[in-house]
Amino acid sequence: MSQQTHIQPPKLPLRFLRWFCSPELIEDVEGDINELFGQRVQANEKKAKRLFYWDVLLLFRPGIIRSFNIYKGQNNNAMFKNYFKIAMRNALRYKGYTALNLLGLIVGIVSSILLLLWVADERSVDKFHAQGDQIYQVLRNMKQSNGQVSTGTIIPKPLGDLVAEEYSEVSEVTQLSSLMSMNLERGDEGIQENGRFASPEFLSMFSFKLIDGNKATALDQLNNILISRAVAERLFGSDWESEALGQIIKIDGEYDQIVTGVFENVGDNSTLDFDWLVPIQAYVMANAWVEDWGNGAFETYLLIPDEAKAQAVSDRILMEIKEHTEGNPNAGDEELMLQKFTNRYLYSNYENGVIAGGRIDYVRIMTVVAVFMLIVACINFMNLTTARSSRRSKEIGLRKVMGAPKKSIRVQFFFEAIMLSALAMALSIAVVIVLLPFFNSLVDKTLVLDFSSTTTWWFILGLTFTVGILSGSYPAILLPTFNVIQSIKGGVMKQSSFAVHFRKGLVVFQFAISTLLLIGTAVVYKQIDYVLNKDLGMDKDNLLAVEIKGDLGGRLETYKSELLRLPQVTSVSGSSGNPLDYGRSTSSANWEGKNPADGYEINVLLTDENFIETSGMEILEGRAFNSQLKDSTNFLINEVAANLMGFDDPIGKKLSFWGIDGQIVGVVKNFHMQNLYQPIAPLIITCIDPSLSTVMLIRTDKNATDALAAVESVTKELNPGEDFEYLYIDQAYEESYASERTMRTLANIFALVSIIISSLGLLGLASYSAEQRSKEIGVRKVHGASVWQVLVLLSKDYSKLILMAFVLAIPVGYYFTNDWLAKFQFRTQLGYGVFILACAIVFGVGIFTVISKSYHAASINPVKSLKEE
Amino acid sequence: MGKQSIGEFEEVILLTVAILYENAYGISIKQDIEERLQRKVSVGAMRTALSRLEKKGFLESEFGEATSIRGGKRKRFYKVTPYGKKALERVMETRKRLWEAIPNVAFDFKFG
Repeated sequence: MSQQTHIQPPKLPLRFLRWFCSPELIEDVEGDINELFGQRVQANEKKAKRLFYWDVLLLFRPGIIRSFNIYKGQNNNAMFKNYFKIAMRNALRYKGYTALNLLGLIVGIVSSILLLLWVADERSVDKFHAQGDQIYQVLRNMKQSNGQVSTGTIIPKPLGDLVAEEYSEVSEVTQLSSLMSMNLERGDEGIQENGRFASPEFLSMFSFKLIDGNKATALDQLNNILISRAVAERLFGSDWESEALGQIIKIDGEYDQIVTGVFENVGDNSTLDFDWLVPIQAYVMANAWVEDWGNGAFETYLLIPDEAKAQAVSDRILMEIKEHTEGNPNAGDEELMLQKFTNRYLYSNYENGVIAGGRIDYVRIMTVVAVFMLIVACINFMNLTTARSSRRSKEIGLRKVMGAPKKSIRVQFFFEAIMLSALAMALSIAVVIVLLPFFNSLVDKTLVLDFSSTTTWWFILGLTFTVGILSGSYPAILLPTFNVIQSIKGGVMKQSSFAVHFRKGLVVFQFAISTLLLIGTAVVYKQIDYVLNKDLGMDKDNLLAVEIKGDLGGRLETYKSELLRLPQVTSVSGSSGNPLDYGRSTSSANWEGKNPADGYEINVLLTDENFIETSGMEILEGRAFNSQLKDSTNFLINEVAANLMGFDDPIGKKLSFWGIDGQIVGVVKNFHMQNLYQPIAPLIITCIDPSLSTVMLIRTDKNATDALAAVESVTKELNPGEDFEYLYIDQAYEESYASERTMRTLANIFALVSIIISSLGLLGLASYSAEQRSKEIGVRKVHGASVWQVLVLLSKDYSKLILMAFVLAIPVGYYFTNDWLAKFQFRTQLGYGVFILACAIVFGVGIFTVISKSYHAASINPVKSLKEE
Repeated sequence: MGKQSIGEFEEVILLTVAILYENAYGISIKQDIEERLQRKVSVGAMRTALSRLEKKGFLESEFGEATSIRGGKRKRFYKVTPYGKKALERVMETRKRLWEAIPNVAFDFKFG
């Protein structure tokens, strides 16, 4: 008991209660629910809290709510009360329409909140650095002989040094290695973690949070190491905060590093990720080759405090590498450029050396979709409200007779719209909270609706008013123009032809948006499908890649023969990387008849004799490697390389690179080494030294279900000290298109949602027009029209509208989808099929909606509709 | 009719307040109804009913001592007024008259 009395009821509902509850009642009421909470909390705390919320919600009722006199002393107050009351009565009287209206708004608002949350999250990546705006990354554009330019981030080390020394505009230079995997050992415990080598300026230039240690000196000494909180917890247990600093960690079983700092785990909103940092000087000492201008070494970041000078730096740096490598046989033709660091997440595609978008495309598309969703929902509201306005005509007439000016009727309808949109917003937020976990798993993020931030509240408030005013605007303009006498006389109001046409225009617009989204979806779907099922030039199914590390490195032959003894494994090959995601290259290749002036960047894949067989590649000319023949200086090249080298018959031609002279023995069919945004690059495959392999490619029998387990046990046996790390090539390939797949899912969902909203609107309109034309239908039926004929009559108008929507949507859709597809080097054809499909679906859904609603009107006995006059 | 009439729920509350006599405040009323009549009562519903009854003059109330279980808030104790008692009697009277007026055969379901 004594400890439970400390549990306080939740604050939020209490504050809400104090706000709305009338002052005479508050003390007693609050006491009551506190006491109740105190009793319940002893049984079940969670339930007590939930019930507390519920109780407060139930207390929110007339009789307890204090009177709110916002405009104290003005008689407007009474009028607003009246508007509120009338709005409530109308809403409750026509429950179906209110539900339809709310549903449309909620679906629209929920979709756009979810989408905008996603957009905001995408935009927040890399934005947490205090000096983020002043950081620029150096990129290099290497010209390929085929006219393409490939853009890279790995810059020669001397460039960074030169800039730091000579460029007065640049106040700091940070060099950073690419992500490397190292073994961190403390005592007997060793863990494999990814991290980077960084120059000391790294900590001051970027705002990664240091929990322990001194930012200024943490990376000063060669034997320093910084680790993330996660690593510290794993190595030093829960007392890491007091224990970690000053301790020694052995890296890669060789160097002893002193822990000089612990930094907060790098979150998802950073494109730079690492779990340890070691001074870059340590790397430089061990790798003398980085001092050469001809070798790419590190990512290089510049801090340019004066934004105006960035352009000057960019102009000056342009040719630095080329000038310094002049006369060097390894030199390629290249330029340097700068990219704002904060832009690199969203603008990560480079086309011919120019920044050409990237995720920003999706961010923009989704922003537009979010806005479209809202507009479609608002249009619905306008249509439903104005179409049904004849129901309110008597009220409007009476108000006018009593002396209401147009303005106050206008205010009334704005008021109603905002009221409804506020209600829709409240319900939408509840729905969003429920849906967020699903949405998160869909887009693979951890989005939250953060109620503690004022931005959220402004956003919610802003959205409420935008939706309210947007959807209330048209009714507020149209309804006050009703003629007094006609509206009091009653009956069905005849609306001006402008009003009718405007409404039709809105319907066309709505359906055009739905069709557009559907076309987009269909194209995205087709392209992703094309990518995932494209013939890549190799067999990516049932191909397993196991990382070679620890003890495996020295026992490759044993490992291979052990694997081959497994019945589930058909062939095995060592390789220097996953062939579908590959980046090692040379610019010093030489061959018979090469023009010495040309610089070519050619990829090199290091493998062993079994590679072709294991990967399922196809040899077009010549032969594959053969373990019987001495192949260590024989090379295979791909078709692109053969073309590049300009051989008619490449077999037997001489080729040298990395100081190895050899000859070409075969040509393999092109396969895709990078994503399909890029053309296939030239490639040399060699088996000079199988011990350089970093992964073991294992082809498994497609009927074997236990292949993975078998491979794992063999691997564990030979390499007990390390985790078994593997990937299936086909899965890894699919994952590299994760963002496209996310887009596909999102597009699918929201295309569907927009059709739903549009149909809701159509449902309302159709029933309205059926009601308006009830007399006409009656007369037609008396004269012998069948139900079917009446249905055709009623749906004809709407079919026309939908067809007009198609005329609008198809060209726009064609333009944008074509544009998107053009970004892919390998793409599906944009056929008629997509458009026909999209239109068919929209038309089908639209007409089905109209007919289902009109059927009632068409089948009714004409006596009923004709007898009242 | 009009101001003197009380509804079924109001009647239950009035009676419960009378039963609890000196100890009739929000939570005790709610719990007594829940136990005795096996029906759920929300704080909100009870609270509105109490204030309505007070406004009609069937109940009167005064604050008691503040206690810590109530977060330092005082209890408001209710008492049935003579006028409230009269209203209850009238309800019972009405019921009784109606019951008495039912002919015996009406509830004879043997042949129904």
